[in-house]
Amino acid sequence: MNQSEMSRAKRHLETTRKMKEMLPRFFMRQMERRFSGDEPLAWCMVGVPPELLKAFDLLFEWPENFGTMCASRLVAPHFIEVAEGDGYSQELCSYVTNTMGYCKLTKDKGEPPEESPLPGGMGTPSMLLGSGFICEPRWKWFQSIATRFFNVPVYSSDPLAPPWDIDPRDPRIEEHYLALLREDLAGQIDFMEKHTGKKLDLNLLRETLALSHEALGYWRDTLALRKAVPCPMGSTDYFHSIIPQMYLVGDQEAVDFYKEMYEEVKDRVDRKVGIVEEEKYRLIWFGLPPWFNMGIFNYLESLGAIVAYESTYNVGDYFEVDLSDPLEAIVRRTWQRAVKMHDYGAETMPELCNPAVFGGFSGSSLLDELVEDYSLNGALMHLTRSCRAVSFGEVHTKNRLARLGVPSLIFESDMADPRLWSDAQIKNRLHAFLETMDKAAGGG
Amino acid sequence: MTANNHITTHLSNAAVESEKRIRRIKAESGKPVIGYLCCFAPPEIISASGAIPFRITGRPGEDNTAADAYVEPYGCTYVRNILARAVRGELEYLDGLVISHSCDMIQRLYGIWTYYHPLPYSYMFNVPHQVSPWGQDFFKRELGFFQESLEKFTATRVTPSALKETVATYNRNRTLVRELYNLRKETIPAVEGSDILNLLIYGGSLPPDDFTILLEEKLAKTKLRKPREEKAPRIMLWGSIMDDPSLLLMIEEAGGRIVADDTCIGFRVWEKDVPLTENPYDGLTDHYFVNFQCPRTDRGPGVNRFDYLLQRAREYNVDGVIGYCISFCDPHKFDYPDLRDYLKKEGLPMLLIDDNYSFEPAGSIKTRLQAFLEMI
Repeated sequence: MNQSEMSRAKRHLETTRKMKEMLPRFFMRQMERRFSGDEPLAWCMVGVPPELLKAFDLLFEWPENFGTMCASRLVAPHFIEVAEGDGYSQELCSYVTNTMGYCKLTKDKGEPPEESPLPGGMGTPSMLLGSGFICEPRWKWFQSIATRFFNVPVYSSDPLAPPWDIDPRDPRIEEHYLALLREDLAGQIDFMEKHTGKKLDLNLLRETLALSHEALGYWRDTLALRKAVPCPMGSTDYFHSIIPQMYLVGDQEAVDFYKEMYEEVKDRVDRKVGIVEEEKYRLIWFGLPPWFNMGIFNYLESLGAIVAYESTYNVGDYFEVDLSDPLEAIVRRTWQRAVKMHDYGAETMPELCNPAVFGGFSGSSLLDELVEDYSLNGALMHLTRSCRAVSFGEVHTKNRLARLGVPSLIFESDMADPRLWSDAQIKNRLHAFLETMDKAAGGG
Repeated sequence: MTANNHITTHLSNAAVESEKRIRRIKAESGKPVIGYLCCFAPPEIISASGAIPFRITGRPGEDNTAADAYVEPYGCTYVRNILARAVRGELEYLDGLVISHSCDMIQRLYGIWTYYHPLPYSYMFNVPHQVSPWGQDFFKRELGFFQESLEKFTATRVTPSALKETVATYNRNRTLVRELYNLRKETIPAVEGSDILNLLIYGGSLPPDDFTILLEEKLAKTKLRKPREEKAPRIMLWGSIMDDPSLLLMIEEAGGRIVADDTCIGFRVWEKDVPLTENPYDGLTDHYFVNFQCPRTDRGPGVNRFDYLLQRAREYNVDGVIGYCISFCDPHKFDYPDLRDYLKKEGLPMLLIDDNYSFEPAGSIKTRLQAFLEMI
């Protein structure tokens, strides 16, 4: 790894640039709470409804997001190497190994390591709220943290969805899965009530869900605006604007953020302001981004390539649900995602990826729709060595895209471990791929 | 049909022999063959529905490039190996496929396999990770849907009494396998670990009654056989799927004795009988989900989740543990540091062999095995 090869992302939207003030404010508020009392602190995974956390007024942190921050500050390799020294394989999810190394250093030193990207690092958790939403490593991750480092209670939610060849509209199948989702959610709430000492306030949950859905409505509409030519928003703004979905969803602040972002992007569409001057290539991005080198998207832009759609981190997909029973609303929202994926016939992910839209359309007929709607003419697939959950299936997706006449490039690296990034080689491959697209378009 | 008297003489290549045999059984019986991977979907239900369950095996070290057109290189080499076999048409005898929701790679294999190479029957058996009351309820309902799909395919209704009878037949084999395992508790074990694995691989291709005959033959012969006398370090094997005896043979050649195991085709399936409950699904849920010790299932934090292993190590008087992890095997690779430390605390050394499902380079693996065996 040559650190000089890594470049930070340039954001194009005013709204996402403002996050540089908004997020520190949020983290300061969190920190004040952490240091001002003995409130319980939950470490959470994506898949835990943030609305529930808000409804319990529970202090929370996201180790996955902490992993992206460690990656972008290039301190992840240090933590990952500590974990590797402890016996964790380099093949394992680098978000996880980053946390394991961080936890080991914290435990050994009795305080968070000074390399932590947040001042004071992450706090010491009093509970772990996991989710089997996306992949297998997530089941082992919090189990190992609570075994090796912090002896705290763990609840991992267990959402399942029907495989691609089972009819989710068969009422018996629907009830089979809904029963699991309902009881699992009830189990999660029981756990939270027990370990926070608070009773869930259903009214507050309903209000939080309403605000959350309002924010996600703006998010959905913003993403739809990217169909415009020229594309008004690129990946650097996309990947950074998912963060409020984790930390702030359910707050008015998030509604304001996504509304403002929508208006800014809409204005760009109206004025036909794109990200690149001459849009030669409109791409879809598959896989997790290289958080340590987000400038790669700006590099693509410098070559006239804009990514108009990303397969991952669309964690807050929007669904209409009846909020009168807020618990049933959470269950139905999860189920609707599963049904949506099923409708698109996602062969490779549904049984795994579940109710998340997280990369769930790999290989599905949703691709046909996206290629058409977003006027896509190429695909980049980031094969992340340490995350097979997201990248295993990219060859299949490539095959599906080929049938649509859309060329694609698979290149290997990682989401958090920059040791797997080879700048010159990757840029050469990207460049060569775009040239091939030129030749193909020119009939050469 | 009875077991072939010459079976045991062919067991050195059990996986290959079992495929020859399943083709023959299929031709003779006219019954459909349902291949399966992982152990969550009970083969008892497949048998009771009038089909023949068959444990699909890979061919370690064989060329996987046929899979490249469908899956990426960064993935479980076992899964790639199985898919490559399917793509090459080597599993043409299968009429159906059952894959359980065990790990990410296996699930993905189901989608990709059935998309490109659909079979007359296929079922993805969904399994929760939490052994919660609602997880168990889901598992029981899933058993019902699985059974229904088979009944539809084979046009055979599975009555509770037929299922109970099949479970009882399989349990007879469990008793016999446990008897064989008991012979390994002796100071000089009467049977080698590689022999047992071959037998279990081969048994995965047999109708249960035939397997009973084979096990009885094996037991009788083993009891008569004079074991090799020299004392050797007693090893327990732990880790990823092992459907080939190569590593066991290497350990034995290096002077170790494999007396116990915790792998997919090993003791897990045979350790206990399936309880013969009023509703057969209760017993099957107990066996194949609640008590089935696959690391993909969440048993909460803490090292107590490994107690069953320690207990087994004590029972078989184990001197050391050899772990085997196939590339990208998340469930096992995540457990390794916790398990290693736990065993070390209990005075049991552990060696981990990381492999890409090829057992190569054999020289380097053998050197590590020898050093470990000398050390203990």
